[in-house]
Amino acid sequence: MKNTHARQPLKSVRNMVQACIQCGTCTGSCPNAFAMDHTPRQLWQMLLNDRPRDAITSKTFILCSSCYYCTLRCPRGLPLTDAMAALTRLAKTENPGGFKKSQAFFHQFLESVRRHGRVNESELMTLFFMEAKDPVLPFAYANLGIKFLRKNKIRLPFVKQKPSRGLDKIFEKVRELETHS
Amino acid sequence: MNEQTTYNALVVGAGISGIRAALDLAQENRRVLIVDKRPAMGGILSQLDFQFPSNHCGMCKMLPLVRRDQGSQFCLRKGLFHENIDLVLSAELSGLSGEPGNFAVKIHEKPTWVDPDRCVGCGLCETVCPETVPDDFNRGLSTHKAIYLPVPHAIPNPYVIDLAACTRCGACADICPTGAVMLSTAERQNFHILVVDDELSVRDSLKEWLTEEGFSAHMAASGEEALEKLKTRPCQLMLTDIKMPEMSGTALLHEAKKAYPNLCVVMMTAYATVETAVEAMKTGAADYLIKPFQPDTLIPMVIRLYQDIEAAHDRELTVEALILATGTGFYHPADEKNIFGYGIFPNVVTNLEFERIISHTGPHGGGLKRLDNGRPIQKIAWIQCVGSRDIQNNADFCSTICCMAAVKEAVLTKTLAAGRSAEASTSQSTGHSTEQATGQVETVIFYMDMRAWGKSFQRYVDNAITEHQVRFERCRVHSLSQTKDTRELEVAFLADDGSRRTALFDMVVLSVGQRPADQTESLSKICDLPLTPAGFFETLPFAGSRTPREGIVAAGSAAGLKDISESVMLASAAAREAGQIIHTKTISEKRPAQTTEDTETPLYRDVSREPVRLFIGICTCGTRLSACIQPDALTQWFSLDPEIVKISFVDQVCTASGWEKLAREISGTRANRVLIAACHPYVFIKKITRLARTLGIAPDLMDVADIMGPVFRAAAQAPETLSAFAAEVFSTLNQGAERLKQADPTAPDQVPVCQRALVIGAGIAGMTAALALADAGHEVDLIEKTHQPGGNLNWLDQTLEGASLADFLQKTLDRIQKQPRITVHTTTRLIACKGLAGQFHSTIEICPETGAETKQVRDLEHGAIIVATGGHEAPTTSFCHGTHPAVITQKTLEIRLRNQEITPEQAGTVVMILCVDSRQEPRNYCSRVCCPTALKQARRLQDLNPDAAIYVLYRDMMTVGFSETYFTRARGDNVMFMAYDPKAPPRVSAETDTPVVTLKEPVLNQPVEISADLVVLATGMVPDLPHDLARVLGIDKDNDGFFQEAESKWRPLDALKEGIFACGTVLSPRSAAEAADTGRAAATRAIRLLSAPAIASDKTVAVVRHSLCSLCERCIDACPYGARTLNSDHTRILVNTLMCQGCGACAAVCPNDASILPGLSARQMLETVDAVFEQLEPDRM
Repeated sequence: MKNTHARQPLKSVRNMVQACIQCGTCTGSCPNAFAMDHTPRQLWQMLLNDRPRDAITSKTFILCSSCYYCTLRCPRGLPLTDAMAALTRLAKTENPGGFKKSQAFFHQFLESVRRHGRVNESELMTLFFMEAKDPVLPFAYANLGIKFLRKNKIRLPFVKQKPSRGLDKIFEKVRELETHS
Repeated sequence: MNEQTTYNALVVGAGISGIRAALDLAQENRRVLIVDKRPAMGGILSQLDFQFPSNHCGMCKMLPLVRRDQGSQFCLRKGLFHENIDLVLSAELSGLSGEPGNFAVKIHEKPTWVDPDRCVGCGLCETVCPETVPDDFNRGLSTHKAIYLPVPHAIPNPYVIDLAACTRCGACADICPTGAVMLSTAERQNFHILVVDDELSVRDSLKEWLTEEGFSAHMAASGEEALEKLKTRPCQLMLTDIKMPEMSGTALLHEAKKAYPNLCVVMMTAYATVETAVEAMKTGAADYLIKPFQPDTLIPMVIRLYQDIEAAHDRELTVEALILATGTGFYHPADEKNIFGYGIFPNVVTNLEFERIISHTGPHGGGLKRLDNGRPIQKIAWIQCVGSRDIQNNADFCSTICCMAAVKEAVLTKTLAAGRSAEASTSQSTGHSTEQATGQVETVIFYMDMRAWGKSFQRYVDNAITEHQVRFERCRVHSLSQTKDTRELEVAFLADDGSRRTALFDMVVLSVGQRPADQTESLSKICDLPLTPAGFFETLPFAGSRTPREGIVAAGSAAGLKDISESVMLASAAAREAGQIIHTKTISEKRPAQTTEDTETPLYRDVSREPVRLFIGICTCGTRLSACIQPDALTQWFSLDPEIVKISFVDQVCTASGWEKLAREISGTRANRVLIAACHPYVFIKKITRLARTLGIAPDLMDVADIMGPVFRAAAQAPETLSAFAAEVFSTLNQGAERLKQADPTAPDQVPVCQRALVIGAGIAGMTAALALADAGHEVDLIEKTHQPGGNLNWLDQTLEGASLADFLQKTLDRIQKQPRITVHTTTRLIACKGLAGQFHSTIEICPETGAETKQVRDLEHGAIIVATGGHEAPTTSFCHGTHPAVITQKTLEIRLRNQEITPEQAGTVVMILCVDSRQEPRNYCSRVCCPTALKQARRLQDLNPDAAIYVLYRDMMTVGFSETYFTRARGDNVMFMAYDPKAPPRVSAETDTPVVTLKEPVLNQPVEISADLVVLATGMVPDLPHDLARVLGIDKDNDGFFQEAESKWRPLDALKEGIFACGTVLSPRSAAEAADTGRAAATRAIRLLSAPAIASDKTVAVVRHSLCSLCERCIDACPYGARTLNSDHTRILVNTLMCQGCGACAAVCPNDASILPGLSARQMLETVDAVFEQLEPDRM
């Protein structure tokens, strides 16, 4: 292992968790830890141990629901929820590869929100399948789609939605902030 | 009680630190006053029944071992009696002025409304008191009455009244047999209260309430009227409304305070103006009340203020030095976030509450029961670091004591549970129906780093795991929840394998962290002392007990985060600092150094050649005695005995007039023994000592027999059962008389003392000890085996805090050189040492050149020995040390840093491996200094090369106390910390130019490989106590070769052999500053022996009847204090009278009755036993 302390964009996230003492409070309190591939504690250790690739390809931060439990209870007072969010942002800009599908999903999700002010499910899925360019992918979601349809959880594409106004400005501002950070 | 107004020292706080410091000074014949704000002494230790590693108490081991007769050899948890110590309870320091050597102090005494001199603790008041309040001693787990015993076990144990809860019904005062309760409300008439309010209804109701309580109330409708009234009649308290039409309450406050600065003002306000009221408190108001209020809120406040103003009085004293031993406070877990549901979930308790739960004097009598339903506890967890090591809780420090306390509590729980299941199985086997067998208790400790930093701690922890099956889970617990049905507590945690698990517990104990004691802040203002950021008293670097203000010293955890043994050591060090000031003052005033010890004429007349003439004085306690037993019958019986010169009856011996009458009666006779039959003996200890001086009868020939117990009990009984109580009274009296008749009247011997000391080892601890001894006026021989004094400070560079150790060493060396009473012998060894405490004869060998013919041998005489031979870094061959040049030890790195021999390139990538060969057999102890050293060196390497990558591979970071701050800082400064499992330690391969370190990283569970420029090993410390030296001195070494102390907690510096003490790293590993503190403390222990040219030996000391002795030497082996030796020509057994503690082991083991304890002869015992069974003839009663 080489000393690569002062490297790359992950450095800012690393600085946020630098004082971590691996006590495990964050993982113990995380309501989503059961679904994560790495526990939050492991994620911080990856950052500290100079394993940026491991950290950025982890699903941990994506599953963070921003409940702020860990931030409230961290004995070192570290901004852990912020660090999760920062990783999510970085994952989008850095695009470490191997995340084509989830990238496409999030992209279309946000686009849908921007256009309609909320998600239009069938439009989202259609555009997601198109962007993912995977012909088999729709079949993987077929079962789930039918279940949702039965429970009337999916809005059909022909139902007209009012285009949203003003959201563009918010998105613009976010983009601006992200490029600055 | 105490009219004395000058003392040598004032000790604030009667916990163990205060007691230790006071006893140390008292044994140097200084007069000490201890004050404590609580109504009982003992501090926090009175609430803890068991201390590790012995799982016993053992406070009594702090009691004096020489001049024992000056105090009482008595359980220290119960009481402290020493003729040079006065104790004032329920009192606080309220003012301080003057300079070191001449402080004027004010002591604010709070009345307890019970006269402690008259209360006999019969408990009748408690039975009639109608009010019940939570018991503070049991941490609110039980209740007591408004009149109560502050602690269950103190002696004397007078009742006190909780005035906030007391309704003044007077039931206790009526029933008290001795009239000790002083609940009179008559003096309240003289307490004038002015009520100012523009509303008539408010004025009327207040007047009614206050008059009902017995106060004199006056009314005013406006501010102007109030000022007028104050002119005509001085008032002590004013209650004023804030919102009034003309002059506002705030304006009135200003005006009134200007004219009458002593007037106490309480603001009355509606919710809307609470802020104004709070503002008003800043400008002089004592308190505020929110309208509308009930008498329940008003009256207790008025009574509290009344006590503060009127009833409490300030004593003014002059003292030469002040010792602050205010102890520690604890974090309150319900403050702030309360993430553990303390106070909400019934089975969440703090560690102190748990100590009360398992205590035999606690609310459950030591039973392990759940607090909600009383069911036995099956599963219990400890959560560590609650309110410690938590930046979000403003606690960037480790509380030092909680890890070991939790382990101890877990072990005790296991032991108690084992006892419980044993009981259950025996009662089952005998066929009795029983609750379901409780079996084993599951104990889990959730921790972050197991800080087993002390001498025997690591083995204690290991033993808890292997022998007691205490489970340790390394995870900080984030919060608790409670199941709805069974109310079990659910803990979610991270298991060793990284998975998230949950577990259910019956009880969860929160190991709450230390905080400054309540009064620290107010004391810091009174004494003008700075506080540390954490709120403890600030002390100077390299002097852990000296505050920046000369003459004021801090002892124990008042100076921050100490465990018992460290507190005891620091208290002795504080006693030295205070003793130094007193000594300087003594010298400057040319006072005689000793006041009582070396007076030529003996205090007491020699009665050994006189026939026994016993005087018996019996307290009649009003008519109570005669109601139980006829005084005439007693007179008749005892007048038959020719050895009894007089028997007289005196009413109320406990009162001053009664005592005077008794003293007159005695002096009228030629009695040489005095028996006083009255209440509790401990009430009379001080009075007897004083009476003994005036009468010239030794106090051990005077005794108090407690006859009032049966008398009081008889008062409530039917007349026909009285004869049993009368027989008990007679039996007690008869016993007491017989014991005194047989008492040995010979005066104790004087043992001459050589007032010099020998200090072995001129490291920082030895030099500090030598300086402390020399400054106190004793000649010191300081011997050092090497060419140069200084020890480890010759190579150490800086402390963790960044202070220069070289400067510290230079200053100490300069002081040694300027001190004419210290003789330094370098290249010198101790080769022989004979003699015993007070008179040692040693031979030293000086050889300037090794192997040369210039050896010199000299003899030295001294009264005490301090061993300060120190320790050194342990050598190692692990991790390729010695085979690869880039693998070095911490010492080597320190030297290179000091000499600036390290280039930035060499510090590119540095791996520090901690706990090398340490904390595992055979060196199973923590060296305590290596973790802070690693942090210190990491910082210095980063200063050298800001890009340095530093990896610290650790097991548990032992940054106890305030060094935790540096751990936090290092984490933030990019130092990489990786824990390793001792079962899979890191590996170093030395095949390449740069050593490669590999280990498995436990959090990610992945292998890590680091190619390092430098590998630094922390090998810990080993002691320098050669076997020869230990043998010459006759002292023991512990498992690891360190100095074996007499008792790890209570006598941490003494050898079992009296007269030999140790300090510095030969005791256990410690930092330079701590070593210096132990040096001062060891000097205190020695000065205790050396302070007088002769010491009177104690009454109860074993002697040998040589004509009967067969020289079997069994007594030598039996003596636990090493007080017995065979003389040089093997003809006699010798007893060192200073070392003998009168335990009687020798007398028990002697086959010929040759070894006896004169004060406790068989004849005396048998006669006393006979006396118990003698009976007054029935018709005489």
